[in-house]
Amino acid sequence: MTDTAKEDLVMEHLVTLTYHERLTDNLNRFADGLLEERIIGAKCPSCGRVFVPSKGYCSLCVVPTTEADEIEVPDTGIVTGFTIVTPVAYYGQTKTEPFVYASVRLDGADSTIGGQDVTGVPQSELRAGMRVKAKWKPREERSVDGMTNRGWSGVDGVVESFEVTGEPDAPLDEYKDHLF
Amino acid sequence: MPATDIAIVGYAQTPSLRDANPSEVQLLVPTVAAAIEMAGIGRREIGFTCAGSCDYLTGGPFAFVSNLEAAGAWPPISESHVEADGAWAMYEAWMRLQEGDIDTALAFGSGKSSPSNPSEVWAQQLDPYYLAPLAPDPISLAGIQARALLDSGKATERDFAQVVANSRHNAASNPNAQLKDAGASVDALLAEPYLRNPLRKHDCPPISDGAVAVVMARGDRARSLCERPAWIRGFDHRVEAHQPGVRDIRSSSSTALAARKAGYDGGPLDVVELSSTFSPQELILLESLGLAPDGPTKVNPSGGALAGNPIMAVGLVRIVEAAARIIDGSANRALAHATSGPLLQQNLVCLLEGE
Repeated sequence: MTDTAKEDLVMEHLVTLTYHERLTDNLNRFADGLLEERIIGAKCPSCGRVFVPSKGYCSLCVVPTTEADEIEVPDTGIVTGFTIVTPVAYYGQTKTEPFVYASVRLDGADSTIGGQDVTGVPQSELRAGMRVKAKWKPREERSVDGMTNRGWSGVDGVVESFEVTGEPDAPLDEYKDHLF
Repeated sequence: MPATDIAIVGYAQTPSLRDANPSEVQLLVPTVAAAIEMAGIGRREIGFTCAGSCDYLTGGPFAFVSNLEAAGAWPPISESHVEADGAWAMYEAWMRLQEGDIDTALAFGSGKSSPSNPSEVWAQQLDPYYLAPLAPDPISLAGIQARALLDSGKATERDFAQVVANSRHNAASNPNAQLKDAGASVDALLAEPYLRNPLRKHDCPPISDGAVAVVMARGDRARSLCERPAWIRGFDHRVEAHQPGVRDIRSSSSTALAARKAGYDGGPLDVVELSSTFSPQELILLESLGLAPDGPTKVNPSGGALAGNPIMAVGLVRIVEAAARIIDGSANRALAHATSGPLLQQNLVCLLEGE
């Protein structure tokens, strides 16, 4: 052993992976609907559950859903759960202040839309069960470009936030089986 | 519990598609359902499920999780996943069946190569110090292998073209094949330009999307579910050094070893289905198995991987194609092969027989 300091060998290996992907047919129809302020889900022909957006199949019954199974749901719903995120700096993080990350069960849907902002109430007063309504972005600002087949960015490009309506909270039974 | 007492009793596959619009899981949903339906069992009866796929192909972390929805994972099921071809998923399910406490298992494999650039994605499986930074694309690597094979005197470019012509002819009667041409001629193929000398475009696999599923059952359960099950007489996989530069890429010692460990003794085979994604590899694999390209064994009657290469499904498709011929009675003994890693690094052999 010598005590001469040696430098570590550092090797940089930069990788770029490019993917070109079209939306699946069901998500394409969902995206088209959003641009017209219509939220489209699919009703499972077997169990009747409504998934928003459609996956093209019911993940519980494992049966495909088609355009014929698709229905429109209202833009009102219930906050089923939420967290307040205190952002830390990482690549791609644009937020600097604590923000709401809520799941919303739209009326008539059995699935939730995750990662939504809830406005019209201080963060300290936000609670599960609150009734909300979509606050749509101005038509010229709407975009579905960020939507992917991987379930990210469902309504983010068209809905600014979900605004509390001030109606009485929904009872737990209305959403306890639809938390996530 | 003898290892041989397990059989394939149901299978299904999508056609090999150039650019499928459905998502990977949307391809899987009807495929898994069809395999289970062919087996004639209820979905909830399946004792164990194993899936094979690659998140690098899908382009999203944990993409494999949603694939599991095709098996129906609620209420929870006993399942596993391999980041490998579905043939390895089937291997794990076959091992699990040998525990003896369950009598049916499901395995599937799926992949969509069309959204990504194979040259970028497949460079990532190379070692990160010496090869990956050079980013050799899979066709260039296969070209080095082809050149080594030519230089050894074991094969000619005409032999490569003959492999392709056979593939195109055989694929003509396979509804799931992507590239088919009943009229393909060796001379016409040789007249085409090089893509990576000495490989021409047709020596390389197409870019494919697809999915495949099998249902296995043990012993009398298999006999009750299927008139003529495809019995798995042996199943083995072996791996060589990762770095292609330290092994003999003109032969496949791991294929020879896997075949021997799977119980293949050089006896007669009616059918062999090989995951040779480049035409020279078919010659390498045949030699490692002691088979002649024009012998009594039918080589890749489906057209093989040159006719459709849904990566992560293509190996299990070979097993399904071999099993289909046992189940329909047109073959009695068949060998199927799957591969993984650069230039035939890891090889799997499944030996199937009728009863």
